[in-house]
This record gives sequence, C-alpha cells and structure tokens, in this order.
Amino acid sequence: MATKNAEAYAAVSKKYEWGFATDIEQDFAPKGLSEDTVRYISAKKNEPEWMLDWRLKAFRLWQTMEAPDWAKLNIPPIDYQDAYYYAEPKAKATIKSLDDLDPEIRRTYEKLGIPIEEQKLLANVEGAEPPRRVAVDAVFDSVSVATTFRAELERAGVIFRSISEAIREYPELVKKWLGKVVPQRDNYFATLNSAVFSDGTFVYVPEGVRCPMELSTYFRINAENTGQFERTLIVADKGAYVSYLEGCTAPMRDENQLHAAVVELVALDDAEIKYSTVQNWYPGDENGVGGIYNFVTKRALCQGRNSKVSWTQVETGSAVTWKYPSCVLAGENSVGEFYSVAVTNNRQQADTGTKMIHLGKGSRSTIVSKGISAGRSDNTYRGLVRVAPTAEGVRNFTQCDSLLLGDQCGAHTVPYIEVRNPSAQIEHEATTSKISEDQLFYAMSRGLDQEAAVALIVNGFAREVLQQLPMEFAVEAQKLLGISLEGSVG
Amino acid sequence: MALSAQAWRRPSVPELLDLPSTRAEAWRWADMGALSAAAALAPIARAEHEEHFLDLPGARLLFVNGVLDEVHSVLDRVTLIEHVAGDHALGRHAQGTGWSLRLDTDAAADPVQVVHVATGGENHLPAEIVLADDAVATVVETFVGAGWSNRATRIALGRSARLQRSVRLLQAGGFVSLREEAELGSGASLVSVFLGAGQAGSRIDGQVVVGEGGYAEMGGALLTAGQQRQECAVRVRHAEPNGQSHQLWRAVAADTSVASLAAAVEVARHAQKTDGEQSLRGLLLQRTATVNLKPELEIFADDVKCAHGATVGELDTRALFYMQSRGIPKPRAQAILTRAFVADALDRIASEPVREAFAADADAWLDGAL
Repeated sequence: MATKNAEAYAAVSKKYEWGFATDIEQDFAPKGLSEDTVRYISAKKNEPEWMLDWRLKAFRLWQTMEAPDWAKLNIPPIDYQDAYYYAEPKAKATIKSLDDLDPEIRRTYEKLGIPIEEQKLLANVEGAEPPRRVAVDAVFDSVSVATTFRAELERAGVIFRSISEAIREYPELVKKWLGKVVPQRDNYFATLNSAVFSDGTFVYVPEGVRCPMELSTYFRINAENTGQFERTLIVADKGAYVSYLEGCTAPMRDENQLHAAVVELVALDDAEIKYSTVQNWYPGDENGVGGIYNFVTKRALCQGRNSKVSWTQVETGSAVTWKYPSCVLAGENSVGEFYSVAVTNNRQQADTGTKMIHLGKGSRSTIVSKGISAGRSDNTYRGLVRVAPTAEGVRNFTQCDSLLLGDQCGAHTVPYIEVRNPSAQIEHEATTSKISEDQLFYAMSRGLDQEAAVALIVNGFAREVLQQLPMEFAVEAQKLLGISLEGSVG
Repeated sequence: MALSAQAWRRPSVPELLDLPSTRAEAWRWADMGALSAAAALAPIARAEHEEHFLDLPGARLLFVNGVLDEVHSVLDRVTLIEHVAGDHALGRHAQGTGWSLRLDTDAAADPVQVVHVATGGENHLPAEIVLADDAVATVVETFVGAGWSNRATRIALGRSARLQRSVRLLQAGGFVSLREEAELGSGASLVSVFLGAGQAGSRIDGQVVVGEGGYAEMGGALLTAGQQRQECAVRVRHAEPNGQSHQLWRAVAADTSVASLAAAVEVARHAQKTDGEQSLRGLLLQRTATVNLKPELEIFADDVKCAHGATVGELDTRALFYMQSRGIPKPRAQAILTRAFVADALDRIASEPVREAFAADADAWLDGAL
C-alpha cells in the first residue's frame, strides 16, 4: 500500500558524482589469494620478517574460518580468488616532493576536492578563524601516495605515517600495538585484512600532546576488481588528544568490489581520540548493480583512566555495509561515544551499529544512531551494550531512531543488552517514523520545494550526529545526505 | 550419556536432537546443555497435582509425563488427537497424541486448566487451540515436578476470536521448553502471559502472526535464582494493517542466574498503521546475576508506530529511601518495590482468580529470594 508520503518521492535519477575512474599505469599482484599473494604484498612493502610471519599466521587462520552470516544482509557468495589484492600506481623512480606525483593521481584528488598540497582549508567554511589546517594521508588503491604536513607534525612529536612506513621506521611501536585491539583471529574479515592489508595510516601522539591539526586519510579505490584492505592504528599516549577524519570514494563499476578495513584505536590515561568517518563508497546503481562491499572492523581500547573515544560516522555509500565501531571501556571512568547517521537508498543494505563493552568502574557510554532508509534499501542498527560484573556504576544511554522514506524500504533495530552488575544504569530507546505530512506541509508553505523540505527535515533528524563532526566534514556530510537521498525524494 | 529409565516416552538423547548451537542468533543465550541434564534427572515421586488446579469451572487436564491421567481429568470440550510435527528445533519433538480445544463460531468455553506433572526424564506433548469466529476461551497451564518438559502449542484464532492464555512454570528442577505458534485472524485478540517462578531452566519460543486489526500480547515475568537460566525468544509479526501488539516482559535475576529476554516485532510491507510496543526491563538482585535483553524491531512499512524501551539495573534507590523514611524497613521496602516491578507483567491476566494465583506464586518466589 503506497502512502501519500511515498507517492511524493518519484524517482529522479542522480549520478554518483565521484564515480569517475582514473587512467594510470598500475602494478597488480597476480589475481587471487594464496600464501604467495601475502608474500608478494609483504615483499612489495619491504617488510621485516616478523611482519610477514604475522601476515602468514593470519592467512592460515583465515583459511579455516567461515564468513559470518548473522547480519541482516543479503550478500551473494564472494569469490575471494576473483580479485586483485594489491594494486599500486607505477612508481616514478622516487618521489622527492609532491611535484613528482603522477599528475593523473593529483588531478583525481583535485576532482575529489581533497587537498594533498598543504593548503589551508578543506572546504570554504566562512568564519573559520584562525584558518583550520588538516594533514592528509591519501591512499590510492593499495598504497599511500602522499602524506602532508609531516614536518610540522613532527615538531609537535606526532608521528603521522602510512602504516608501511611506520612498520619500517617505528617497528617497536607498531609491534607493540598492532593486533592488540583487533586480534588476528577476531573475525573473518579482520583476519583477511591482517593477511593482506596493503596500506593505511599510523598515528602516534606522545604524552601530553594535543595534536596541532586535524589528521585525515582519504581512501580511494580506483582499479577494477581490486579489494582495498587498509589498516589504521592510532595510539594516543597519556593526556594526548587527536581528531582524525576519514573519507572514502570509488569509481562506478558494474562489479562489486571488496573493502575490508581494520581500524584500531588505543587511548591511554586521560587521552582522547575523536574519529570521524564520512563513508561514500560507490553504492551501486538503482538496480543494485555494482558497488562496494564494505566489511569493516573498527574498535577502540580505552585502556587508561578517564580516557575517551568518540566515533562519529556518516554512512551514505557502499552497496553493503557491515560495520560496528566499538569501544572496550577498560579504564576507570573511561567514556565511549558513538554517533551515527546511516542512509540507504535504492538497493543498498547497511547493517551497522556499535559495541560498548564496559569493564572499568564508572565507565560511561552514549549511543545515538539515526537510520534513514529510502528506495528498496534495508537499514539495520545492531548494537551491544555489555556490563562486566566488576564494572561498578556504569551508565549507558542508547537512542536509535529510524526514518522511513517510502514504503519499499526496511528499518530494523537489533540491540543487545547484557548486564552483569546491578549498579549499572542502562537505558535504551528507539523509535521508527516517517516524515509527517504536517512537517512537510509547513516547510513547503514557507516556500521550500519538496526536495529541499525533505532535505531540511532529514538534516534536522540527523542533527545530533552531524553536530559531532568537525566543521569541514559537517558541511560535506550535510551535502552528502541530500545527494544520497536524491532519487528517493521527488 | 546413559538413558534414564524414566525417559520412556521418547527415548532419544538430547545430544542427538540436532539442536541449534548458540552461534545461531536466535539461540545466542540458550542453555542447550540443560536439556541433557534435565532429561537425565533421576525419577522423582509424583508431585501433588490437586493444589495446582484453581477453583474454576470447566475442563481439567492432568498430564503425567506427557500422558493424560484420565482418572483425574475432566475433558469437557477438549479432545485428544494426533498432531503432526512442526519444523521448530525443539517444537518438532512434540508430536503424536496431544490435546485439542476447538470452539465453533460464537462459542464460549469455561476455562481450560492443564497441569503438567513431570517425574524425571523427558516428556513431549503437542497441543492446539482453534477458535472459530467470535469464539472466546481461557486456558491456564501449570508445570510442576522435575525433568525435561517439551511442549508445542499451535493456536489459530478466527475473526474477532479471543483467547486469554496464562502459563506458569513451577517445576522444581529440570527444564521446560515451550514452542508457541499463533495465527490471528482479523480483529482477533490473543493475550499470553508467562510466569517463570520455579527452579527449572526454561525457554519460551513464540511466534505470533497478527492479522488485520488484530491484537496480540506476549509477556510475562521470568524470576531466576541459584544457577537457573530462563529465557524467552518471542516474535510478533504484523502481516496485515492496523494491528496492535504489546510485549511487556520483566526479569528478576538473583545469585548467579541468567534471565534473557529477546522480543521482536516485525511489520510486513503493507501492514500500515501498526502499533507495536515493547517494554523489556531487568532487575538484578546480586552482582553475580545476569540479565540479557534484546528488543528487536524489523520494520518494512513506513506508516507505523513502533517503540521499544529497555532498562536494566537495581531498585530505584530514591524510592527505597523514601519508603524507609516513612518507617518501612529496608527488606520490606525492597520486597514491595520488587513485587510492583513483577506485577506490571502479571496485571495483563484478565481473570481475577488466575491473576491472584500467579501473583501468589511470584510472591512465594520473591519471599525466598529476598
């Protein structure tokens, strides 16, 4: 039964703006996945022996594992042998400065609006005083092609490197923390990532340092049939603070491509990490052809007292999203936050949420999840709040709201609450609704057309989350919300 | 594992039952190991059954280890028929001869009381309640004794039929597994209330399909102590528009016990104007106890009102303080507040004698635990 509301959302086709491919020469690993692939990647990266062993151990483990099927996702079987696990732009002898970078890649980032030069502003945000600066690590398929503001960060003591550089330059630090939060055997996709991860970002903020600028990584899948497996590791030492942004896009292609990333965050005493993601992988076309399979394991360990990790995500892309940024709240009075807006349109499927594992006394967590479904998509919030017997005085607040645009989509909420300490205060609320005719009528009576009215209401619905984003990202995210819903909003 | 001499009705070993593992989402908190232990319980003396029948007119069925005790039973409108097995992992083991209540259009039966006595080992029993249009019935079931009691109940309600169903699990040991499958016609109403106040483990597996303008309630209270584990896994599916459902569950866990409440509401694509409500609340009496909650929503229609609330914690310290300041000793204040917490779920029972009997069982449990 079509409601009045749904009828209003006639289909208007809108292309994915980031769907262009860049034509550059690339080196590929042989197609398929075997121990040789793992050795190939490790050799390409000039990795030390211990790293290769670590990868091989993960690979052997992966072969014994089965892909999880508990999520509310309909994924055709994936042929892991029918993909390239490594693709890098053909290197020019050695890149001494950014001027040596392949102009095609450079143009790609210009088109994407990502500053790989050390420019002052990411977006033209008025009134941003003093000018805000963002250091960028740009990952193109399997390799990091540029990292900006290195020198300035180094003066502050912050290490901001691609992870392959970090493995060579700071082996002790990497060895100490890699796999500590997301162990090799954690889950099917994390294990696969441990075996074949190609690049990613490593950040270390030393004791007492407030990172002088926002750090960001921009992931771009370009090559056909290629999986991207990046690994991010961020360690904030005692009293440190860092804000990290992550953005992603991919060209429009008819096949599905695999993206299986692992992100590990560690916050020691009094440290704070703010991790923001705007995920805009190619979602496939309106018939569900193509698009990225996004299987991501993100987890933070709040190890120290009073440590804090805040995840903010705006998920608009990917054909399939399987992603649960989590916090292990081990430290006393540690704080975990999760703010999420997930938008699905056409045939997209998202199963996303968070886990808050309370182990420390007085640890607190907040979960705010806003799901928006349109078209024929399915949007699921799946979350876990667990309180260990030793965790005294835990507080959790969870709110998940779903908004349905049209009557062909689904919105689902699957929260798990497991409490083993009576002093815990756990609250969970959820609502599901559609945009009310009254709201729409009011906005339109003020002169907005229907599309603008819906965009306004949706942005209002997601406001609590968008507020958590750094300003540049918030502007981008707001635009993205509008664009993602075009085609569903007539 | 050696078969108990009393596992005579269906001499199968639970390990061979091909049960799902806890890796399956719907069985995540299930305690399948308890089935083997329950089925292997040594025979015990038959419990007194008389006291478990309430002073109500109508049919009285006494099943001892899943077999009708004809001497002590009054069948009234109930018949015994052969049932075919469904496909539920536990429910399918309850097949063969079982009871059946079928009412014609506009019929109203006196309450049907069923007492299940287990004396060790395992026993299985299927049942059906089929009400034609506008028929009205009340069914009260009580489980006592020890062993593994496994039940599969199929409920079909015609247009505007009404069924009030109350089930109390009072077994002193073992395990009770219930599989409930209900289908509601347009405007039909089903109110099911479960009380777990015994010492046995339990799993209540429910699936209710609500028709146009139908009304369904699935709720109850699970009280666990010692090393007991009780859980419910119920799903209400709104297949047609204008339906209403309420799932109101309360769990109280003491000692090292585990109480798990998983309740789902599903709204089909064209089931517009559905009003689905869930309220799951857990109360932990000791820090060694566990409460698990999973209030799940699965919504495919855009013009619906669905909300769920879930909380876990201890008694409100301010309410306790207030009562103490009025001269009520702390243990008494705790008992009153806990009773009120559980009463929420039992208030849904419409028949007064049944509600009072259930409340008395809950009180007896609370007196022991507090």
